[in-house]
This record gives sequence, structure tokens and C-alpha cells, in this order.
Amino acid sequence: MAYVATRGGEHAIEQAERLFRSDLGTISKDRVEGIRSSLPYLVDRLMGEASLYEPDLAALALAQAGGDLYEAVLLLRAYRTTQPRIAIAEPVKQPDLFTVRRISAAFKDIPGGQILGPTLDYSHRLLQVGVLTGEDYTPEPVIPAAKPAPATQPSLTDWQKAQGLIAEHPVETIAPEEIPDLTREPLLFPVPRAHKLQSLARADTGGTLALGYATTRGYGDIHPTVNEVRLAEAPVLLRHPRGTVFSAGRVRVSQAEIISKSKNLELGFSATFGWNEVKVISAAILDRATSQPNPHAASTEEFVLYHTEPVESSGFCIHFKLPHYVTFQSTLDAYRRVKADGEASGSKPVIKEPAKKEEVAL
Amino acid sequence: MTLNELTKPWAAFNYGFLDESAKRELRRKMLKAIAIPGYQVPYASREVPMARGWGTGGLQVTLTLLKPTSVVKVIDQGADDSVNACSIRKFFGRVGGAVETEDTGKASIIQSRHRIPEEKLRENQVLVLQVPDPEPLRAVQSDMSVARDMHGDADYGQMWLVLYEQLVKSGRIMQGASYPSLVNGRYVISPSPIPRWDVKKLNQADHLTILSAGREKRLYAVPPYTKVEPLVFDDVPYRVEDHQDKTCYRSQVTGFFMNELPQDDGSSAYELSDSHFGIKHIRKAGGEPVVIGETWYRQGRMD
Repeated sequence: MAYVATRGGEHAIEQAERLFRSDLGTISKDRVEGIRSSLPYLVDRLMGEASLYEPDLAALALAQAGGDLYEAVLLLRAYRTTQPRIAIAEPVKQPDLFTVRRISAAFKDIPGGQILGPTLDYSHRLLQVGVLTGEDYTPEPVIPAAKPAPATQPSLTDWQKAQGLIAEHPVETIAPEEIPDLTREPLLFPVPRAHKLQSLARADTGGTLALGYATTRGYGDIHPTVNEVRLAEAPVLLRHPRGTVFSAGRVRVSQAEIISKSKNLELGFSATFGWNEVKVISAAILDRATSQPNPHAASTEEFVLYHTEPVESSGFCIHFKLPHYVTFQSTLDAYRRVKADGEASGSKPVIKEPAKKEEVAL
Repeated sequence: MTLNELTKPWAAFNYGFLDESAKRELRRKMLKAIAIPGYQVPYASREVPMARGWGTGGLQVTLTLLKPTSVVKVIDQGADDSVNACSIRKFFGRVGGAVETEDTGKASIIQSRHRIPEEKLRENQVLVLQVPDPEPLRAVQSDMSVARDMHGDADYGQMWLVLYEQLVKSGRIMQGASYPSLVNGRYVISPSPIPRWDVKKLNQADHLTILSAGREKRLYAVPPYTKVEPLVFDDVPYRVEDHQDKTCYRSQVTGFFMNELPQDDGSSAYELSDSHFGIKHIRKAGGEPVVIGETWYRQGRMD
């Protein structure tokens, strides 16, 4: 019964999981609340990539994954997919956003003004090492402005369109229930614009950054100027069957518009759940880059949308840990036979290129 | 009828994990796949509680086919007891209340990664193959939209060219596993990364095979009694792996697909890749009343 000795997979996986979980210790409500309050930008990034706005669940996913972000996205998405879609909110219009930060790099001043809001953009990034020796680091209190900024801001693009600088985009009127939903339909190319923006909204931050950065460095033809970056809270408005519109609360959102200076001034747009400026700026660049008539190979819709999908790309990468001995055995067999044939005919093996490159799929 | 009669008690998740609308979509897509053998049907692959690339495509198909009376076997690289196979099988038990088995003959659904069991499958069994990359044209056309057009036109010239180039450069076709194969004389498929040894088991089989790629959101099928022909030139026959004369050091069985185990002294030992097939032989040799099903191969040959 020698086979019995090689068994025990079930016991092994059980113990391996226990080992991982024992390193993390007990997950309590306090821990989840601690993560939620101390790591809001991480929670935001996760909610964006998981396309589920629920800070408590996101913080719980981070706690359970020990901070492994891809693991947390998978946890949250696997939960999300089992939830019914109960209603479709009213469209969110830019001037209705409760804006806390809104800047433009295109003009020194803009209608509604520039609002810095919370940012580290101009701070010196110094580690407060004193904290480790017992000196608490308490931030300086904020001094309120004499005149508070308005809660909502007009759209800069509207001004540019009125000036004739940017072409008016044709508006498609689609009934709410007709809006395609990427989570219920496969992504097919050529991709509907709704799918493209949904896909970018839940794309991996690092992935959009890498490809967005590449396209501005010469692997593409995008020279972006940030027209507007906004961090805001968007009202979620639902329509009661009787017709009244009511608010179901607010969600933190970020959005970016970039202008590419090619032949004409052209807009790229992106928005996502949570406050994540790197993501929306790079995704807006990618929106523009993938909309070019002849995009660079690294900026085609297919290339960008497939390769920035966090659950799919991370899952496939870690799947290489799984055993591949059957396929490897099959490859080995081909190599050995070539070698044997070569020796039999007295010539050296004639593999000129690695055979793996030529294999159709492994 | 009262409201109470229409409601059911709260549960953490639906039977079979996937919600009914997801299962409905999968059923429709599976029917389409069966109706057009080898055609890759796109579907809205859902996130499941398992990493993409770890069998989520097969998992969604099996979850859809599952009922409480199902008997499920899960194989990873031939083994029932490898960690991923255990984890997936446990999941079916947990969310579907399915009976778990390791015996090919007893299973109603067999989900597999990279192997087809050595014992023949019957008409009332379904084989679900996990597929990492459903697109056989990927090596010659990485753009999926263009590859879809090529399938539509049955334009497989570049595919043949790649095989021919391998022949010219290396003296033989270097394709290891996932050997491109023509289904029902129409669509070329990647038969999941099963070894060349297993591709012949799909031809005119008694059972239904559903191949599903969760990450790539495509599923396709080889219905029962359907022709599956590996792409070969008339004068260069299809050759399976040289395992005909290898003997399993554990069960002493000869003539089936083996795992090679490098030894300290520089030699190799071999063990049956189909782990439960090996266990059955060992038990039978030990005098237990074990039923071993008919096999596709006999003494390493299938003809």
C-alpha cells in the first residue's frame, strides 16, 4: 500500500491554512475597525478594484488576507458576485458631486476655483521615527478658511466645450436597465464604452499605472495634461417605484479627465470608487490611448483591459505554483525523442530554438 | 398563497454557491457549446472563492451541473489527493452536498486538470476539463478578436505552418501537451493541456466533455460520439508519449501514462499518473474485490 504514504493532501492543506491564519491571530471587530479608520486609502483602493462599496467588508477582507491586496480583492469579489443587483441608481452628474479636492493643471484658475483638499502632494516625505521611541505623532490642527469652499463645483469641460476647444461627445441615451454590466456579461471586443470604463474602474491600480506610464513614455502617443482631478462624495440617488427620488447615502469617488494634445484636444476619462488619484489619472490616460485610431500595441483595448484585471492576472501568476508535471513530462518526451533520433542518425540534435516558444499553449 | 410560503430561510450562499441566474447562463452556454462542437462560447465568468487560473472555469461548470445526488471526482495532474484537487472536491461537498469519490467508475461528474482517466468513461458521465488557455491560435495570433475571425473562416493555415516549422527545425512536432485538434471537422480546439496520450480518448468517446476557461471566459464542448483529430500530416503519424513500456514501481502495471521520478543515483523511477487507477491495482493485487474498468489503452496501444 505504498500509495497511501503519498496521500494526505487534505490534512496538509488544512494545516497549511491553519498556519497562515495562526500568524494573523484572532480577527476581531476592533481589528477591522482599526484597519478601516487607519488605512482609508487602502480600503478605498480595494473597494475600487473589487467594485463593491462597503468599507466594513473591505476592511474585513484586508484583515482576513493579512493585507495581501490581491487576496483581499478576490475575497470581496467572490462575495460580491453572490449578491443580487436590486436597483440602479440615478446617474451622477459632475456638478452634483460633493467635492473636497479638485485641481486642474491646464489652467491657473478655473471656474469654481482650485481646491487642494486633503493631499500630501507638497509635503516632505519624512518618516516620523520618533513614534517608534514613544513620541506620538499628532497632526497639526487644520485652520478653517474664512470663507468655506462651495460644496459643489461646475464642470471645467463644459466651459471648454462652450469655448469650442473640445468637441461635444455624442450623448447616447440608454435606459438604466439597458446599461451593459461587465459583472454579468463577458468582455467582448470591440468593447462597448460602458464596459471599457467599468473595466478600468475596477482595474488593478499597479497595472493601470504601468501601462499608463508606458504610453506616456513612448510606448504610445499620449501627452496628457490633467484637465481635472476630483475627490468627492457622490450622492447615491434611487427612484422609488412611486416616482420619488431619495438618497441612499454617499460614496467616496475619484475621477480624472486628461487632455491629450495630439491633432485635436481630446479627453480621456476615468472614475472609480474610493479616493485613488494614481489610478484615475493613469486609467484616464489609458482611456484616451485605447481610443486612438491606430493605438500602439501596448495601448489596444484588448491588451490593456485583459492585462490590468487584478483577479485574473494575479490568479494566473500564482497558478504557476500548481504542479505541471504531466505537461512537463509530455514536453520532456518530445525533447528526448529528438535527441535519440539525432544520435541514431549520427548528427547533433537540431533544436534551433527553445521548443517551448513554439508550443501552442501550455 | 402567503408571502411566507414564497420565502425560504436565510442562507450564507445559494445551493452550489452560484446564484440561479449565473447557473442559467452557464446552462444555456453549455447547450450552445454542445450544439456547435469545439466552438468557444463566451460567458460571464463569475468570481468564485478560488484564485483565477486554479480551475475556476471547471468549477463553474461543475457547480452548475451539481445536484445533491451527484458523485464527484476531482483530479489534478492525474491525482485525486493533490492539494488543489482536494480543495476543489471539498468545496463541492460543502456547497453542493455532493458525494465525493476517487473512483472513476463511480463518479457522475469528473472535473480534471490536465488528465483524462485511464479507465473508459460511460455515456452517463460528464468530464469537465479545466482550461488555462482555450485559444489554440494564441501562439500565431495573440489578439483574441482576430483569432475569433480566423475560427469563423476556419482559417488554420498559420497553425499548420507552425507544426510544419517544428518538423523542419526539430525533425518532429515539438508540441507537448494541449495538442491542437480538429473537432467534428470544423473547429480547432486546444484540448486543455492534457498530454498527447489523452487526446485520443476524446475521439468518438461515449461521454460528454465540457472544457471551460474561467479566466478567459470561454467554454466549449466535445459531445459524445464526435470526431476529434489531432492535426497531423499524412506522412508523419501522431505519436503519443513513449510510456508504452514503462512500469509503475508501485503497482507493477505497464503501458499507461507515467510520472517520472528522478532518483538519487541518476536513474528514473516511474509511477502511474492516474493515482486511483494505481490504488485499484495495488488493492486488487492484495486480494481485495476491486472492479477495474475497461481502459482506452491496452498494453500501451489504442487500436
